Amino acid sequence: MASKATCRQELRTAIRQLSDRCLYSASRWAAEQLVGIEQDPAKYTPSHTRFQRGSSSIRRRFRTDGAGDAAAAFNSTPVAGVSFISTPPASEEENDAVESDFYLLAKSYFDCREYRRAAHVLREQTSKKAVFLGCYALYLAGEKRKEEETMELEGPLGKSDAVNKELISLERELSGLRKCGTIDSFCLFLYGLVLKEKGNEGLARVVLVESVNNYPWNWSAWSELQSLCTTVEILNGLHLVNHWMKDFFLANAYQELRLHNESLAKYEYIQGTFSFSNYVQAQIAKAQYSLREFEQVEVIFEELLRNDPHRVEDMDMYSNVLYAKECFSALSYLAHRVFLTDKYRPESCCIIGNYYSLKGQHEKSVMYFRRALKLNKNYLSAWTLMGHEYVEMKNTPAAVDAYRRAVDINPCDYRAWYGLGQTYEMMGMPFYALHYFKKSVFLQPNDSRLWIAMAQCYKSEELHMPEEAIKCFKRAVNCNDREAIALHQLAKLHRELDRFEEAAFYYKKDLERMEAEEREGPNMVEALSFLARYCKDQKRFEEAEVYCTRLLDYTGPEKEEAKSLLRGIRSAKDVELFPP
Amino acid sequence: MAGILKPPGAFTVTPHKVSICILIQVYAPPTQISVPFPFSSVSHHNRLGLFLFALSKSCDDIFEPKLDELIGQLKELGDFLNDWLIDHLTRRLSSLASPDDLFNFFNDLRGILGGSESHVMDDDQIMLDPSSNLGLFVRRCLLSFNLLPFEGVCHLLTNVGAYCKESFSSCPYELSHIEDCANEAESSMEYENMELEGLVFDKVSKEFEAQKRANDSFVFHNHAPKMLIGFIEESDISSGSKVKEFDRLRAGSSCIPSSSYSQRIIDPQVGSFLRTNWQIQGNLLDQADAIERHGSSFSLNAFESILKQLQKLAPELHRVHFLRYLNSLHHDDYPVALENLHRYFDYSAGTEGIDFGLPSSGCNSFGRYEVALLCLGMMHFHFGHPKQALEVLTEAVRVSQQHSDDACLAYTLAAICNLLSEVGISRMTGIIGSACSSVVTMRTSLSIQQQLFVLLRRSLKRAEGLKLKRLVASNHIAMAKFELTHVQRPLSYFGPKGPMKLRTCPINVCKELRSSSRLIHEFCDESSIMNTDGLLCTMWLKNLKKPIGSVIFSQENESRRNLDTFQFCAQPNSLPGSVVQLLGTSALVRATAWEIYGSASLARINTLVFAACFADSSSSADAALAYAKLIQHLAVFKGHKEAFAALKIAEEKFLCVSKSRVHLVKLQLLHERALHRGDLKFAQRICNEFGALASSVSGVDMELKTEASLRHARTLLAANQFNQAAAVTNSLFCMCYKYNMQVENATVLLLLAEIHKRSGNAALGIPYALASLSFCQSFNLDLLKASATLTLADLWLSLGSNHAKRALALLHSAFPMILGHGGLELSARAYITETKCYLADPSFSVSEDPEAVLEPLKRASEALELLEYHELAGEAFYLLAIVYDKLGYLEEREKAAALFKVHIMALENPEEKEDSLSTML
Repeated sequence: MASKATCRQELRTAIRQLSDRCLYSASRWAAEQLVGIEQDPAKYTPSHTRFQRGSSSIRRRFRTDGAGDAAAAFNSTPVAGVSFISTPPASEEENDAVESDFYLLAKSYFDCREYRRAAHVLREQTSKKAVFLGCYALYLAGEKRKEEETMELEGPLGKSDAVNKELISLERELSGLRKCGTIDSFCLFLYGLVLKEKGNEGLARVVLVESVNNYPWNWSAWSELQSLCTTVEILNGLHLVNHWMKDFFLANAYQELRLHNESLAKYEYIQGTFSFSNYVQAQIAKAQYSLREFEQVEVIFEELLRNDPHRVEDMDMYSNVLYAKECFSALSYLAHRVFLTDKYRPESCCIIGNYYSLKGQHEKSVMYFRRALKLNKNYLSAWTLMGHEYVEMKNTPAAVDAYRRAVDINPCDYRAWYGLGQTYEMMGMPFYALHYFKKSVFLQPNDSRLWIAMAQCYKSEELHMPEEAIKCFKRAVNCNDREAIALHQLAKLHRELDRFEEAAFYYKKDLERMEAEEREGPNMVEALSFLARYCKDQKRFEEAEVYCTRLLDYTGPEKEEAKSLLRGIRSAKDVELFPP
Repeated sequence: MAGILKPPGAFTVTPHKVSICILIQVYAPPTQISVPFPFSSVSHHNRLGLFLFALSKSCDDIFEPKLDELIGQLKELGDFLNDWLIDHLTRRLSSLASPDDLFNFFNDLRGILGGSESHVMDDDQIMLDPSSNLGLFVRRCLLSFNLLPFEGVCHLLTNVGAYCKESFSSCPYELSHIEDCANEAESSMEYENMELEGLVFDKVSKEFEAQKRANDSFVFHNHAPKMLIGFIEESDISSGSKVKEFDRLRAGSSCIPSSSYSQRIIDPQVGSFLRTNWQIQGNLLDQADAIERHGSSFSLNAFESILKQLQKLAPELHRVHFLRYLNSLHHDDYPVALENLHRYFDYSAGTEGIDFGLPSSGCNSFGRYEVALLCLGMMHFHFGHPKQALEVLTEAVRVSQQHSDDACLAYTLAAICNLLSEVGISRMTGIIGSACSSVVTMRTSLSIQQQLFVLLRRSLKRAEGLKLKRLVASNHIAMAKFELTHVQRPLSYFGPKGPMKLRTCPINVCKELRSSSRLIHEFCDESSIMNTDGLLCTMWLKNLKKPIGSVIFSQENESRRNLDTFQFCAQPNSLPGSVVQLLGTSALVRATAWEIYGSASLARINTLVFAACFADSSSSADAALAYAKLIQHLAVFKGHKEAFAALKIAEEKFLCVSKSRVHLVKLQLLHERALHRGDLKFAQRICNEFGALASSVSGVDMELKTEASLRHARTLLAANQFNQAAAVTNSLFCMCYKYNMQVENATVLLLLAEIHKRSGNAALGIPYALASLSFCQSFNLDLLKASATLTLADLWLSLGSNHAKRALALLHSAFPMILGHGGLELSARAYITETKCYLADPSFSVSEDPEAVLEPLKRASEALELLEYHELAGEAFYLLAIVYDKLGYLEEREKAAALFKVHIMALENPEEKEDSLSTML
């Protein structure tokens, strides 16, 4: 990775250029990363560094890495590929004053969201900057109109085929520019955007790659490119020039392709340079969340909130973690905070929905999820969560519908597939449900819960396919089944099938596990009593006696049974010792 | 989603609807003048009314027609008045320049509606009855216009502008000419029978109303019966309908030519508007019908692209997914079919009905997911996964019992019956789990067949109770099929003492078939005709092209008329297609029954009845089966040449994919021919081909498997590999026994007898022949019985000449059947055996009665030459030569001997001869 100083320098120039072209979200992203680079302690007073993270757990965790990387930077031995583009090219030569005056006017209009006026002002300008802003303003005007039309045109069958009417003319103009070679990387980005919207994904990828290779600091271009990389093959097929921005891109793309470990590794590597970047932090949290490391996720988010208390992005994930851990007050606190920050963000609605769900007020929860969906129709997790709520409310058709919408938005959402399966299982259609469980297991083969759900289906009395159930439970055991359901079920199933040897094996394993985790309960009694009897039948009296004596610690019928077993064992032993 | 779903069936004003409103204004002008101005005659006026009515109902496409298409149709209405109409229409449309014009237009429109109360009307004043179809249409337009916000009105205005612009640029017309016509029209107006026309119109609309009312009472989810019926008939035959279908498809796709396709998607200015929900549903139903009827010959991609467009334009119309499922199902795309099936039912919860939703009695708040299970079960069945299918259907039974969905239960039971009868299952245990015992609630001691029988009965009773007429009919057909091939044992059969009546019952078959055809009188009680008036309107619009009135046109026009006459015949009468389809199937089953019982002529007649009456609306599978039957009949009675000529016609008509009936018939014909000509290598190749067609799953494709090994054994026999042939036949016998296929066993036993006969062990063959004979007797297989008798006679004869009398007696007892219904081969064999009997009989002398042997031998040799059956033909000529020799006819003897030589040579070098047919594979 490039040295911190060059990164900083590049980002500073890039931010100026990006915001001059009104690419605000890209420039925001760049600015976040700029501040995320660890400041040189020699140059800055503590008052500056105070803005950055203090002595936090996270900081401590990464301090060593950061130091190492700083040293590396001083030795000027870049770790990854060398950047081919050192600094953003200096902004274009200033055109004559009149032109730049027009540009200033257009930009002001643009900033006031008067896109058509901005485009109109720039219609005769020829500088690359003006051309870009003109096209961009037109594009945004079209988008705005499209959104309005979607509301106006909603037909009886949910018709929403409103399209951006500027796309055709924009495509014509931009492709013309590209053909005669006078296109700059910003226009290329816009061209890619237009192509993507028109459904020409292949060309869109090519154009976007061209754009990011020329000008890598435009994060918006990278994220558009990422959304077009739907498979690993496509991702690997891209010809990208080496640059440190590529690492961000790859990390993000890996995450979307569900290569969580690769993504995590990449982010941790990036963190070497951008050790204070909130963005990187949040992304790491996302990866950890997908790996179901909730503890770590919580720590990261606490840290994030301390530094950036008005952050709404990604906070829905935090709320999911809090939900899973049943932290009522923390969740309510979070909900309150985002509510005050911006209540009309889909994330905020989702967090509030989560809170109500945790409180068991499912109707209200559904209301907030619905609001979130109104704000963003393609908000995946809201559909899934709403499905969960409907399941709680026993409104199965609505739940099925909500899950199915989630799945149709993103067919890789294993939670929604799982939800569908669960709903159908609830309706007493285990065989039908299997289809959905199979889908979810295919997407997330290392999740024991999914295997267990599938096994329960096979086990259900309607289907009664114990062999298949055993196979699924075995997979669950191999996937680190946290709730330890699988071992017990395996033992039970084998016992039902009269395979006592296997049953004993699994009971023993289950027993060991319970001992290790210091859990007690009916499962323990069941395991002990089976093992006692089994060992007795196998004439392993010593072992049987051990189990029986352990059983004596429990009250209930098992105690009596243990006693009689012990008596039996003794007499059997006597018989063995002194055969009549 | 249940929560967010918008109320379906809403109605939006589109430019096309505005045009219809303009035309309605012309049809029923609001002025006090009692004369509709531009019309020249009552029939003209009527015709426009009918046209408008049809426009508002037809469902031939998902998109509303564009202005130029509408103008084209108006032109085809076929009188000079139309130019005036077109001019008026375009003028009115282009005069709509501001939102206020639209407001005024709809205000004026209100004026043409008569008062709802019976306020006194002038006789000569035309008022549109607000509750008539057109009145309703106008009212809906008015209402939805009034509901539009200002933005909506603006959109409508721009859309109308685009609608006009598009057509003006494409189709110019001359105004001056139109003006003239208008004047003419004015001068020749007639207004005598105004009332009469109103009457006619009223009558028509009442008819439709009645049908609609009938629809409302229909409870069951519409696609299931269709599917079911489709499946039931799939195993069994038509012709002309395919051509028609392709026409329709072409018509469908021509509305969306590929060049403008992308443009339409992208540019909403030129956007096309969906028809009303009702019309789209009608169109989809129609298409679903077509897919099921034509199977894989239905074009996959053309329809798929239409569906894609529809889905984009109407994402809440979930039926699209179902159509997609059907489409991929019939093109054997398992993953896509599965995916779309699940998607459809996830979205619709099985309750998406035809437009206004189903009556509340049908669906509860839980949705009707049991229908999903039913469909999934049938899908698995279609793909040949009997185990999964049974599992799913069992679940469907359980869920529909839980939700007390009786109709679905009836259909599911029928589906299970269908599955059990189609798929060979040797034992129930292990396949139907414990769950099914609750369904079937029977002792496990019952055999599969008995369980099936009980299930069939239950399903029939349930369907009768629920008044599901078509299900009753198809159950009757299933019952008939069951009775046809399955041996009936009394259900109360305990221990060995019970009466062991092992026979089939043709009377029952007849009874079942008869009660299935009763459907034709009763179907109207069950309304399945939701889209009939839509279809009728579509047809009416299509037939506009047909010249009416004067027929004196050029030759070219003449040929077109011929085509149209055909279409006219295929016009929907009041019988819904599915009913006709069922009736067709029952005719085919009858043909099959006669085939099995051994009456070739009756089988042929029934097949011909099917081809003549039901071919148009039957599924292509049924039609192919009918063709197959007819071709086989030709092969047996007229020889191979004619059969192959007929096959060629059939191959042109049907897609000859693997496993299709036509393909099977081709293989059968080729095999027979190869055996006859002695080309055993080729025969073996075809046998292998047969074997490869059948699915590897045990219990599936039993019919094919049986036939494959039967043919294999026959090929081995022809090659004199007696041991191997016997082994193959034995294992076939075991398989048939295992899967309870007694009827097939009769044939297998006969083949065993034949093998023993050919291997020279006549004594061993006789018991087999006798067994086969008794099988045939109890199963009423008359023709097979005759041929078994023939074999028996042969066997007796080969035991020695002292048995010749007995053999002859046996043979003569079978002669009526053989000569009446047997084919060329059978009768030739009978003649030869008869001659041999005579010749072997010491008391018979040739010179005394030469005709007794010469006549049969001549007939036999003629038949065998037609069949190119070299071996037997050689034998016949040999015998003939001997007879001539004895009689002293030397010339004839030499002739016969030469022919004998020819045949023997041909038999020995089968490959030498040119054989164009071996390239057919």
